[in-house]
Amino acid sequence: MKPSSILPEAKAAGLFGRFPREGLVSLLVLAAVWETLAQLSPTLGIPPFAVPSFVRIGRSLLTVTPIDVAITLLRVLGALLVSFVLGMTLAMVMYLSETLERHARPVIRLLMAVPIISWILFAILWFRGVEFRVAFVLVIVCAPVFLVDALDSMRDVSRDWRDMLRSFRPTRVQFFTKLMLPATLPSILTSWKIVMSLAIRVVTIAELVGAVTGIGHQLNVAQQLFSVADVFAWTLVLVASLFLLEYVLTLAEARLLKWRPA
Amino acid sequence: MNRAAPVEVAGLGKRYRQTTSGQEVVAIDRLDFRIESGEIVAIVGQTGCGKSTFLDILIGLEAPSSGSLSVGGFTPYGDFDRFRGRIATVFQQDRLLPWRSSLDNVRLPLELAGMPEKEQRERSLGWLERLGLGKFTGAYPHELSGGMRQRVAIARAFALEPAILLADEAFGHLDEVTAAELRETFVKLARECGSTSVLITHQLEEAIAVGDRILVFGKPATVLADVSVAQWPREDYAGLREAIQATLQANAPDPRLKR
Ligand SMILES: Nc1ncnc2c1ncn2[C@@H]1O[C@H](COP(=O)(O)OP(=O)(O)OP(=O)(O)O)[C@@H](O)[C@H]1O
Ligand SMILES: [Mg+2]
Repeated sequence: MKPSSILPEAKAAGLFGRFPREGLVSLLVLAAVWETLAQLSPTLGIPPFAVPSFVRIGRSLLTVTPIDVAITLLRVLGALLVSFVLGMTLAMVMYLSETLERHARPVIRLLMAVPIISWILFAILWFRGVEFRVAFVLVIVCAPVFLVDALDSMRDVSRDWRDMLRSFRPTRVQFFTKLMLPATLPSILTSWKIVMSLAIRVVTIAELVGAVTGIGHQLNVAQQLFSVADVFAWTLVLVASLFLLEYVLTLAEARLLKWRPA
Repeated sequence: MNRAAPVEVAGLGKRYRQTTSGQEVVAIDRLDFRIESGEIVAIVGQTGCGKSTFLDILIGLEAPSSGSLSVGGFTPYGDFDRFRGRIATVFQQDRLLPWRSSLDNVRLPLELAGMPEKEQRERSLGWLERLGLGKFTGAYPHELSGGMRQRVAIARAFALEPAILLADEAFGHLDEVTAAELRETFVKLARECGSTSVLITHQLEEAIAVGDRILVFGKPATVLADVSVAQWPREDYAGLREAIQATLQANAPDPRLKR
């Protein structure tokens, strides 16, 4: 992670981040290949449902229910907030106590090494409430990333700054609010970007554990109906939501980090 | 502790254990001296002689290994919080926070001291004005020149109107004209505030220009000479310079500087 590279990017950002013309060309070529395959599928002997045409996908898009999208996004944002608060709090406590850090680091590394699918199985075996299962999986995957990133970047804050601040006698709270948090803000924002795309990808699998709402559930239904068009449509919506969230974050970043030299 | 406080240093020693070799390094051998309230003292010494270590102990960032150091009867390390709002340091390199404007950088110590918001603002603006930065209160550090940044750092220290004011190579990295100008400002303001001031430098001209008194540190830190600049004939500052130079080179007091 190189926080120093954030701002120029943020300034040039449109809805899809920095989007080079070449990227657009590749996407159009990809779409053209898909559409050709869709049109030729009968002659090529590919079952017609496997590669639906864009007209068919467009029809599926119209059936996307906004409530499921909203529910999934709410689950993601809720879990991200909980993970963030949890991760930051633990990071601050561990920053203050190196003994605690020495004890906790291996545990966190262990948690981060567990495959997502195992967490999902544990969630099913341990908990009954569907919402709780989804939240558990998301938080256990996301919180350690916030924690480790925050702790590492706090440890990187220069001794010069710490000594300067300490010479003015801050309280413990002031030490974090006046120095540590603003100093690590660029890296905190980078963590948000990483964790957000992680959460969007994890939430759909997590929603398979008994949820009867949300994009993950709708994907499951589409799969059972052998509707590639529906899967395609829901996936598009999910990816678009991620881009939108990332865009909001980029705006926030440009605002919060406006003190950086261009 | 009053507006200005005397500094009492008795048998002060500091040893470090090196992390890799485990060997003991003597940073400060033994220091004994007193600095009166409102006095401006310059400390000179060879590189590595323990000046910054002394300053760290004076700021309260490090504990002494032996002996004691007190300011107005309190120890900066042990009575750490008692010094809130009463001690300020101008560091080498400005150490401004890049996300804060000039104004907010100057405000920082006032915020930490819990001063009411309105007063923080007025005071900080006043000090920036006095340092000739009235037009740059909203500028971020990266928008200022090195000299201007150091002025902000000086304003930040003075804004507290501290009982004790410290500076470590505060003008060392600036060009000679800017450095001379800021030195003069520093002395003028320190006198006005009446703060007890300790300035660390390796430039003898600076020490002579700023200090009422010069402490010449040997290596590892001991006081080799304690010179009253005020009592030294003004026309013979070149001689004073030479004598201090000779003391530093020999690591022993030059006869011209009788303690
Ligand atoms: N944290 C530390 N651990 C181990 N040794 C240290 C530590 N801090 C300082 N020292 C040692 O103490 C001695 C004095 O260092 P100090 O930084 O006080 O010198 P100085 O007089 O400020 O030098 P300069 O003029 O170069 O700034 C040096 O030998 C240094 O290696
Ligand atoms: Mg030094």
